[in-house]
Amino acid sequence: MSAIELIDVTKTYAGTAAPAVQNLNLCLEKGAIISLLGPSGCGKSTTLRLIAGFERAEKGTIVLDGKIVSDENTWIPPEKRGVGMVFQDYALFPHLDVFNNIGFGYRGKDLKERVREVIALVNLQGYEKRYPGELSGGQQQRVALARALARRPVVVLLDEPFSNLDADLRGLMRREVSRIIKAAGATAVLVTHDQKDALAISDRIVVINGGVVEQVGTPREIYQFPETSFVATFVGQANILDGFLDGNGHVVTAIGLFPCRHTHGLPPGSPVKISVRPDSLELAKEGEIKGVIAETVYGGDTVEAVLELRDNQFRPCRLLVHLHPEEKIKVGEKASFKVLPDFVAVIKR
Amino acid sequence: MSIPIIYVILRSLFAGAERWLRLLDQRIPELLWNTLSLTAAVTVFTVVVGVALAWIVSRTDIPGRKAWQWLLALPLVIPPYIGAATYISALGRSGPVRELWQGSALLVNLFGDYPLNLISFWGVFFVLSLFTFPYVYLVAGASLRKMNRNYEEAARSLGLNAWQIFWKVTLPFLRPAMGAGAVLVSLYVLSDFGAVTMLRYVTFTAAIYFQRAGFDTASASVLSLVLMLLTLAVLGIESLTGKKSKYYQTAGTYREPATVNLGRWKLPALFFVGCVFFFSVLLPLGILAYWGSLGVRMGALDQRFFAFAFNSLKVSSFAALLCMLSAMPVIYLKSRYPSAISSMIDRLAYAGYALPGVIVALGFIFVFNNHLPVLYRTFYMIALAFVVRFLPQAMQAGEASLSLISPRIDEAARSLGCPPWQVMFKVILPNMLPGALAGGALVFVSSLKELPVSLMLRPPGFDTLAVRVYFEAQEAAYHLAAPAALLLIFVSLIPLRYLLSKY
Repeated sequence: MSAIELIDVTKTYAGTAAPAVQNLNLCLEKGAIISLLGPSGCGKSTTLRLIAGFERAEKGTIVLDGKIVSDENTWIPPEKRGVGMVFQDYALFPHLDVFNNIGFGYRGKDLKERVREVIALVNLQGYEKRYPGELSGGQQQRVALARALARRPVVVLLDEPFSNLDADLRGLMRREVSRIIKAAGATAVLVTHDQKDALAISDRIVVINGGVVEQVGTPREIYQFPETSFVATFVGQANILDGFLDGNGHVVTAIGLFPCRHTHGLPPGSPVKISVRPDSLELAKEGEIKGVIAETVYGGDTVEAVLELRDNQFRPCRLLVHLHPEEKIKVGEKASFKVLPDFVAVIKR
Repeated sequence: MSIPIIYVILRSLFAGAERWLRLLDQRIPELLWNTLSLTAAVTVFTVVVGVALAWIVSRTDIPGRKAWQWLLALPLVIPPYIGAATYISALGRSGPVRELWQGSALLVNLFGDYPLNLISFWGVFFVLSLFTFPYVYLVAGASLRKMNRNYEEAARSLGLNAWQIFWKVTLPFLRPAMGAGAVLVSLYVLSDFGAVTMLRYVTFTAAIYFQRAGFDTASASVLSLVLMLLTLAVLGIESLTGKKSKYYQTAGTYREPATVNLGRWKLPALFFVGCVFFFSVLLPLGILAYWGSLGVRMGALDQRFFAFAFNSLKVSSFAALLCMLSAMPVIYLKSRYPSAISSMIDRLAYAGYALPGVIVALGFIFVFNNHLPVLYRTFYMIALAFVVRFLPQAMQAGEASLSLISPRIDEAARSLGCPPWQVMFKVILPNMLPGALAGGALVFVSSLKELPVSLMLRPPGFDTLAVRVYFEAQEAAYHLAAPAALLLIFVSLIPLRYLLSKY
């Protein structure tokens, strides 16, 4: 059974013409960590707030744990939904210490034991008597997560959980949050605009743009086989090329043949668009794709470069490629590349 | 809340053409000139002095900088009518200074008769300026301390010298603060009743009071309408200039402003700051202490005194309680469920604050006399009028603490299983309480010092400390007035700490 189901959900904020979320359909399974990934203003936070019950959809049905919580005739307020929420700014109660923050919503008789249990889960033993103002950012986030988990919610919602942390802590907290959620056996939905967060922590990623779902898949599927040009360019970098299938596992484009294994079973001759990751172009003497290096940006672990070439009709064309930092190619030099098939995918839109 | 004010407006409109013409012909031009010239003079002077003091105290290496910072805010706790009384008692017609002067043949021969006449425009100007400059000083000082050093350094790197920086960077940066301070001062001068009547200078407030005392309420309401329009004009000027001069600072890179080395200007600066402090705090307090000790020895702390104190306590604490209770729901609704209605309630609350007390009192007389005779001339009426006048003080304090509670906190409580009413009691109230209490303290102190409303609305025989100070000072019974005045000032010190931390 799915933990959350959204059927045809539309939400328009008062005073705006375009809906923030439009005919959204989502089905999120239990026990998984799911990311809603998209640029700011894409409707991902609205989706989260709709699930939590802080906003009401004007159309569509939301089902939590098999129970309808919102449709045309039903409205269950946030306090009765059994949803845990971790806010971007954590929203810890400033007048309560860690222990009472975590125990705030817990109604069971075993309050003390349960709070101790979650405190142990998030590794905050010894901080029970501290107030939110006396905690670091990472500790505050642990408290917020513990507070949300204490009631054993149907689902934990996390709104941009890592955006307030600096880079070092971010990596640590990604691993920690993922560990804690798995250890608690909870279902989690997190909203982020950072592809690294999403790729690192999720079992599944839902890419949203303009209030519409672009693609749902595992992190690997999303990165390796983007289905739309938005996903291809938003999650990592990509070159988008037009061409057609030749039936032998290649796509024929104006600048050459691209081996491609992910074709959605389209018949030979179909016109397609493909996404070619910069990593799938490898510098090689005998490579078929030849051009001149037009720009390079040194990035430490890799060098981003732009290769300028002419297609079969002599129109100029630019490709983004990655070079090994050992390679010392200067702007203006000629270079040739071969294509690795793993990061080439046919996209639908 | 607005009913009393609407009543005043209606009354004035139905006052009759003849009365309007007569007033327009004779009283109003004179009153307008008196009021406007005083307001303009005091405002300009306090802005200059206030900004200068703020700059010296917060941006230079003047000795005792930290101490001056709060010492110069102290005049705020001395109600101007008390200040006026102390100056009259010392420098007035029958004061000791005049007698000394007239007694010394040398001075009389050299400079003629005693030159200081407090009962004049300049006397009122001097006294009001002394006790209102802290408004500008506090607002400008807060701005100066918040100003990022980067701007001045950017100007320096662009080749400006210190003097040019002050005129081209610092002063323009201070313009919003100067405007805000100027509005506070001019609203105060427009509404002041105690100091002007003490010094027999007739402005609108005084005229309204005397018309009403002579039972010509129709004329009083006509004058009130004009005064209301003046107040609105001041507020209008503020909102006009306020929009254009919003400056935003780049966040995140704040660095404390540099201190200017005064060098050979140190002594003149110290003299200036010391003079202001002497005339606005030390001298009045010293005179009060002298009269106070004289009064205590003559038995001024008798049963009557404690009865007045008790009256003050009763009416002020009742007003403070009412303000706290009514402010909290208004603030909560305004911040969490903003709507046309809640913002209108908010505006109305502030309207009562900006309007002079005499107008509010006049409106209350109309309303209670005609519709609520049960409460007419009871102390409840005074307390209610205080609520109309001082509710925004409680609201501001509460808002300040509520603004620190993000709406996400409400949502967090909701998602943890609390229905809205529990959120209010378990989360909002505990967090808002310190602010609400501070607001209550502010209202309490303002009510304690309040003069015109208490004077006009008090039931027969119900005198408060403020009213007694006023009457006894007018009858030159300074030894009776001083103990009560000192008590008022002492109590006013309590919320000053809160006020200062706000700026």
